[in-house]
Amino acid sequence: MIKKFSLTALSCLLFGTGFSQEVEFTKYELDNGLDVILHQDNSAPVVTVGVMYHVGAKDEEEGRSGFAHFFEHLLFEGTENIERGEWFNIVGAQGGSNNANTTQDRTYYYETFPSNSLKLGLWMEAERMLHPVINQIGVDTQNEVVKEEKRLRVDNQPYGQLIFGMGEFMFKKHPYRTSVIGTMADLDAAKLDEFKDFFKKYYGPNNAVLVVAGDIDISETKKLIEDYYGDIPRGSKVEPVNIKEDPIKKAMVDTTYDDNIQIPLISLVYRTPGMKEKDSYVLNMISTILTEGKSSRMYKKMVDDEKEALQVLAFNNSMEDYGMYVIGALPMGDTPLNTLAESMDEEIKKLQTELISEKEFQKLQNIYMNRFVNSNSTVQGIASSLATYHMLYGDANLINKEIEIYQNITREDIKRVASEYLNDNQRLKLYYLPASEKPEGDAENQSQKQ
Amino acid sequence: MKTKILSFFITCLVAFGVQAQIDRSVQPEPGPAPKINLEEPETFDLDNGMKVMVVENHKLPVVTARLVIDNKPHSEAKPGTAALLSAMLGTGTEKISKDDYIEEIDFMGASVSFGSESAYANSLSKFFPRVFELMAKGALNPKFTQEEFESQKSQLIEGLKFSEKDVSSIASRMSNVLAFGKNHPYGEFATPESVESISLQDVISYYQTYFAPENAYLVVVGDIDDDKVKDLVEDHFEDWKKATPPVADLPAINPVKNTQINFVDMPNADQSELRVQNTIDIKMSDEDYFPLLIANQILGGSFGSYLNMNLREKHGFTYGARTSFDTDKYGASNFVASTSVRNAVTDSAIVETIKEIRRIRSEKVTEKDLELAKSKFTGNFVMALERPSTIAQYALNIETQNLDDDFYENYLQKIEGVTAEEVMRVAKKYFNADQMRIIVVGKGAEVVENLESLKLQGKSVPVNYFDKLGNSVKKPVFNKPIPAGVTVQSVYDAYIKAIGGKEAAQKVNSVIMTGTANFQGRNFDVVMKQTKDGKFLNELTMQGMVLNKSVFNGETGYNSVQGQKMDFTAEEIAEAKKEAGIFPELKPDVDSKLTGIETVNGEEAYVISSSDGKTKNFYSVTSGLKLQTLTIVEQMGQTVNSTTGYSNYKTVNGIQYPHTRILSPPGLEITINTIQVNEGITDADFQ
Repeated sequence: MIKKFSLTALSCLLFGTGFSQEVEFTKYELDNGLDVILHQDNSAPVVTVGVMYHVGAKDEEEGRSGFAHFFEHLLFEGTENIERGEWFNIVGAQGGSNNANTTQDRTYYYETFPSNSLKLGLWMEAERMLHPVINQIGVDTQNEVVKEEKRLRVDNQPYGQLIFGMGEFMFKKHPYRTSVIGTMADLDAAKLDEFKDFFKKYYGPNNAVLVVAGDIDISETKKLIEDYYGDIPRGSKVEPVNIKEDPIKKAMVDTTYDDNIQIPLISLVYRTPGMKEKDSYVLNMISTILTEGKSSRMYKKMVDDEKEALQVLAFNNSMEDYGMYVIGALPMGDTPLNTLAESMDEEIKKLQTELISEKEFQKLQNIYMNRFVNSNSTVQGIASSLATYHMLYGDANLINKEIEIYQNITREDIKRVASEYLNDNQRLKLYYLPASEKPEGDAENQSQKQ
Repeated sequence: MKTKILSFFITCLVAFGVQAQIDRSVQPEPGPAPKINLEEPETFDLDNGMKVMVVENHKLPVVTARLVIDNKPHSEAKPGTAALLSAMLGTGTEKISKDDYIEEIDFMGASVSFGSESAYANSLSKFFPRVFELMAKGALNPKFTQEEFESQKSQLIEGLKFSEKDVSSIASRMSNVLAFGKNHPYGEFATPESVESISLQDVISYYQTYFAPENAYLVVVGDIDDDKVKDLVEDHFEDWKKATPPVADLPAINPVKNTQINFVDMPNADQSELRVQNTIDIKMSDEDYFPLLIANQILGGSFGSYLNMNLREKHGFTYGARTSFDTDKYGASNFVASTSVRNAVTDSAIVETIKEIRRIRSEKVTEKDLELAKSKFTGNFVMALERPSTIAQYALNIETQNLDDDFYENYLQKIEGVTAEEVMRVAKKYFNADQMRIIVVGKGAEVVENLESLKLQGKSVPVNYFDKLGNSVKKPVFNKPIPAGVTVQSVYDAYIKAIGGKEAAQKVNSVIMTGTANFQGRNFDVVMKQTKDGKFLNELTMQGMVLNKSVFNGETGYNSVQGQKMDFTAEEIAEAKKEAGIFPELKPDVDSKLTGIETVNGEEAYVISSSDGKTKNFYSVTSGLKLQTLTIVEQMGQTVNSTTGYSNYKTVNGIQYPHTRILSPPGLEITINTIQVNEGITDADFQ
């Protein structure tokens, strides 16, 4: 099962343009089901070792929101051979850095070191995969830490609830309806045994991909990987979440309050296809058309010309099974929020009825080429991209080929996708208002809580 | 001799065996240190004084240019002027209109941006010559129009609102204001008033005074030859007219003589932002620089530092705590320990922070901690070389920070040479444990009492109060002690007496209140029906259309929002039962607690809190009347306070009822027009 992608690298040499950005990599599978991807780049003495597990917030049990992220914290507590509290010291002692992050779909752990500590990195991630210590002290400590993280990143953060709260409107059955950070009550409810079971269920090598990128020697690295990972027992087969949502057919309107803000925000939120679908890439391009750069459509019109908005935003929060597409604006001065909504609607209507110009289309291609070129500038970034493309998109070589997907999107695709997904009756209109002050926008159908 | 050969043979076997046995209990040792390669950039100067540095790197087909004007820091007569200048740069040039300028840069997928004394450009190498030209023209031939000025000014004023409720932004502002003073360039900050006072001419003068080549450095990094850079720079920067910006003395800095707490009240805070700091004078070129790097690293520079291990890992107070210091060639730097902690542990977090600062001053750091810290800098140094911009940054630092030419060549050696004694010496010199400014931005009602009784080294610490603008203020009133003899029952009794007495209240079997509400130009009708045995109906309509309705028949109930009906959950039923009745205060209540005295719209009120803390009722200390109900609801994963205010009490059938109710959020005012007592209600109303 060894695949090697070197053709393009070769052609670069032939043309001699110095355009050597093709990320060459080797991919294979160990007997226990662990996928391995190696990328060699000896230009700087740096190496990243990363492991991505195909488990995220969407795999949580009902009433346990925040569990997967909480669990990620626990896996820094120590292992059979690494004492509690020593993880960060060991990495630091070799001058390395490390971190982890959890999304709805996956959990990723990594270390970046000067390249003479490759073996150390492999050992540490194998320790984590084979026998982490999961105990009550860890659960109690990390419970507090995770709650502080929630206060810091969500509760005390201006507009902090916007992203975390949209899921419950967009999803009725799919677990994307709860947030990655979870609720305080759910975090408190999680018991030690549940964490142990979670490890058994999701942290087997067959549910993971190991990526090593940077200043390495391929054959030596393969041997080390066999040594450290070869005898980790295969875990049980993991059944991926497979829940289909019914289409949204009726417009939703809601209001939420945030006591950390003074300027309200209006946003339109749509449910969109999963990240692998071509249409999800088209939506990324639509965000660029609408809000990237000062000549983008919404910025130019709403901020610059009409001066009705202080800021505009559009982004595609794409995930494995579905996406959430968000368009929003903050008013300038006393502009009613509904005026902003009308402006946004006009821009959407335009995308649905008129093809974008050839010139605007060429601009998009230039922007995406620039982004593509800059995306692979560090080995740490390359490692994370390889793992993500392999695990969530099913094709690690997208690290080189994703640009082609964008290059193959047509002007007609953009019009089609805007018409298919960005309709009035498929969305949430969310008024996001300051809690303590009388809102400045025109909030429709204010729901009353007594 | 023989055994030696044998053991060597075995080692070979083990090392090259098919499935080598590894000992997982042994942490792998690092291999030989990798070689590092410190390149030097190409440099050249222009006649006008600008220095240029070029780092060629062809790994990716991109080029970045950065213009830095290293003027001496200077106060702004009207804070916000620099921000306005930076917003106006890049909005067109004398020859290119704003739209064309922006459109062309965006078309190339490039980015060009400007600060008040800097500029930046990044693009694919094939577009770079034109992008560079646009950056240069934007910087050197800008066009300042009154129209653009007005537009940027109103955006800046609006943008200042953005951070006004952000606890950490206010903490950062306070940190600088208190360390350096409002008149110091490092302490000043823009306000809507200061921005309002700025004229277009102020911005132009600032530009003409400070946007000059004398102290300018241009750094170009990426996929481009130095010859090409030389041509481009000569084409576009040679005509930049030589000029020397003025240099003024900086205001003196006033360190505190004894540790003090400086508090800013932000009632919306879920966490307290803490800054424990003292000003220092440290330059990168100082001998103390390297030991101080290590001392800070061990105290609070990393996850495994004294401070984070204490506050996060030992106590779970915070998601993270760190210390940092900056260097400044003009002598104005700050050493700061910063963290955000939940309200209840604010005082403990201060005590623990000071404890760790004392510890590094009085205990010699262990060999292990010392090595760990050194490794971190060595590793970072090695890994930073992955980015070509690092080489450029080093060269720039040597110029701007007055460093020896071999500063970075000797960097690793200097780090390696730091001793535990030196760490203690610099910790004593720079971390002034007894002369610190402790800044707390948080919720006064929950943290101030503990702060005022806080003791450090057995001594209490003075607490000063500030507003969000850094002005000293008198201590605000947060909450007051409860007088002896006041209980939940006595507060309820006083309330019932105030509205008309127990006898009259008990005679009320049902009430219908009808009223109107106006919200943002729209009129709503409101009906509220209640019975003594706990049934209720609340309805909000607009032009006859029911927007919102909640009904409870004593056992079950539902909410209906625009026709969508949702039955009460078990939790909501329990809550409805608890709150049931027209005057719940008539019944004895053993679950609730009298928690204190707070002010409601300037009026002192007893606070009675339900056992789960989710509902609080406020009763006037003077009149006995109920002033407000506060409910904590979980909404979109966050807790939100929702209040109903009661005022305009008027007597109907011998009982005083509030005729005005204000629901906040959203700030909906309901005016009750009629109240019918003991008439017009049937059970059918609650179906």
